[in-house]
Amino acid sequence: MNPLPHSLDLAAEPAIAISGLVKLFGDHRALGGVDLTVRRGEKVVICGPSGSGKSTLIRCINALERLDGGRIVVNGIELTADEGTVQDIRQEVGMVFQHFNLFPHLTALENCMLAPQLNRGLSRAQAAKLAMAHLERVHLADQAHKYPSRLSGGQQQRVAIARALCMEPRILLFDEPTSALDPEMVNEVLGVMEDLATGGVTMLCVTHEMGFARRVADRCVFMDRGAIVEEGGSREFFDAPASERLRGFLAQILH
Amino acid sequence: MNALPIDPALAWESLPALFQGLQVTVFLTVLPLLIGLALAFPICFARMSARRGLALPAETFVVFFRGAPLLILLYLVYYGLGQIEALRNGPFWIVFGSPFGCAIVALSLNHAAYMVEVLRGSLLAVPHGIVEASEALGITRRNIFLWVRMPLAIRYGLKAYQNEVVSFIKGTAIVSVVTITDLMAVANSIFEQTYDPFTPILCAAAFYWALVNVVRIGFALWGRWLGRHNEDEAVRAARAQAPLGISGEVLP
Repeated sequence: MNPLPHSLDLAAEPAIAISGLVKLFGDHRALGGVDLTVRRGEKVVICGPSGSGKSTLIRCINALERLDGGRIVVNGIELTADEGTVQDIRQEVGMVFQHFNLFPHLTALENCMLAPQLNRGLSRAQAAKLAMAHLERVHLADQAHKYPSRLSGGQQQRVAIARALCMEPRILLFDEPTSALDPEMVNEVLGVMEDLATGGVTMLCVTHEMGFARRVADRCVFMDRGAIVEEGGSREFFDAPASERLRGFLAQILH
Repeated sequence: MNALPIDPALAWESLPALFQGLQVTVFLTVLPLLIGLALAFPICFARMSARRGLALPAETFVVFFRGAPLLILLYLVYYGLGQIEALRNGPFWIVFGSPFGCAIVALSLNHAAYMVEVLRGSLLAVPHGIVEASEALGITRRNIFLWVRMPLAIRYGLKAYQNEVVSFIKGTAIVSVVTITDLMAVANSIFEQTYDPFTPILCAAAFYWALVNVVRIGFALWGRWLGRHNEDEAVRAARAQAPLGISGEVLP
């Protein structure tokens, strides 16, 4: 994904600006006033113990969760309850889920074709061409005509990445993309994500893959109990964590 | 003496009349199935709506028409509505004045009530994550329904739908009580003319059985086509080779 020329005049504006974000699930405060700004083209990794609100945070960005307070601005568009605005933001933001969530009744190729056909009015042939190009990018062109049930977990997740790329989003959200995979399939997915990171796309990635975070992230964010506890460049984040909580967390996951 | 309870000569003679009855039965199956299904969609949407003003009337409709025995419903429509003076003089008398019209109304309402629940169950079975993934792709709610939720719901609900259709076909036999000469009524009248209780009834049973099995085979083929994404690669390849195979890629 190359930087888009017409976005140059907006280059000073952040890709994602979150301020005072509050999310409640009943009485539980999943996010208690989170501020986070992601620059264009930046790769940010979010980590933290389960229940810390990291998935909720990125699910708020494309309005899969409704916010209970605060502001989110995505590429200059402020998120509101208005359905048109939500659609506009979703056109800018692609998402990859922990459990792939492919359309089981469509082949890998058709999975990738559906959104471009429906949202952008591409013909079947145009959509197929686009989908094939992105499937090639995730090294799955040879599996294009298989249904998801015939693909391995790693292949399914790569199809899911290609499906998101077909909408040519400028921002990609990853919600624990390798957590549901067998260990031997983790690297093929991370490899594809690292390839993507070399392009201009903005990436916000919830993951516990600390090797990936070190190699790819411009910045790492550590969340706990609905708040950002610490953030910093990936080197100081891993080598010199400031907070006790992050030190404890890293000690646990790095063994 | 004939050891069989049926008289082959009478059975043979009855065939044309039974065929005519079968046509009526098929007509009284197909039309209410279509009307009932068309009614079931909006009622199902209302039933699933978050707005009580929509959900409550839809739920009441389902509770009433699913609870009312079909025979009583048919009597009410056929004999009951005719008591209403305004209706007798109104334009709808074209429908309610004929036993066919009444039968179609009663059967359609009954089928719609059952289909609301079949449809609702099938739509609720669609995994939430798949709907979320569609939303994240920026697909509109209408398109998500048409291209993701409904195609999957059809797959989840196919067996329940088949059950409903099969029991519905056999349920149409009650229309004989309002003077319609369907398959059951034809068998009954042959019985009354010949005093042979077995031959016409067993012949009619065979006709119903054949009709139900045509439907069953139709559903089996449909289900196989819809389930092609779950098929083994090898099975699919083998089927593609077979002359009668169902192959070819079609977007559902």
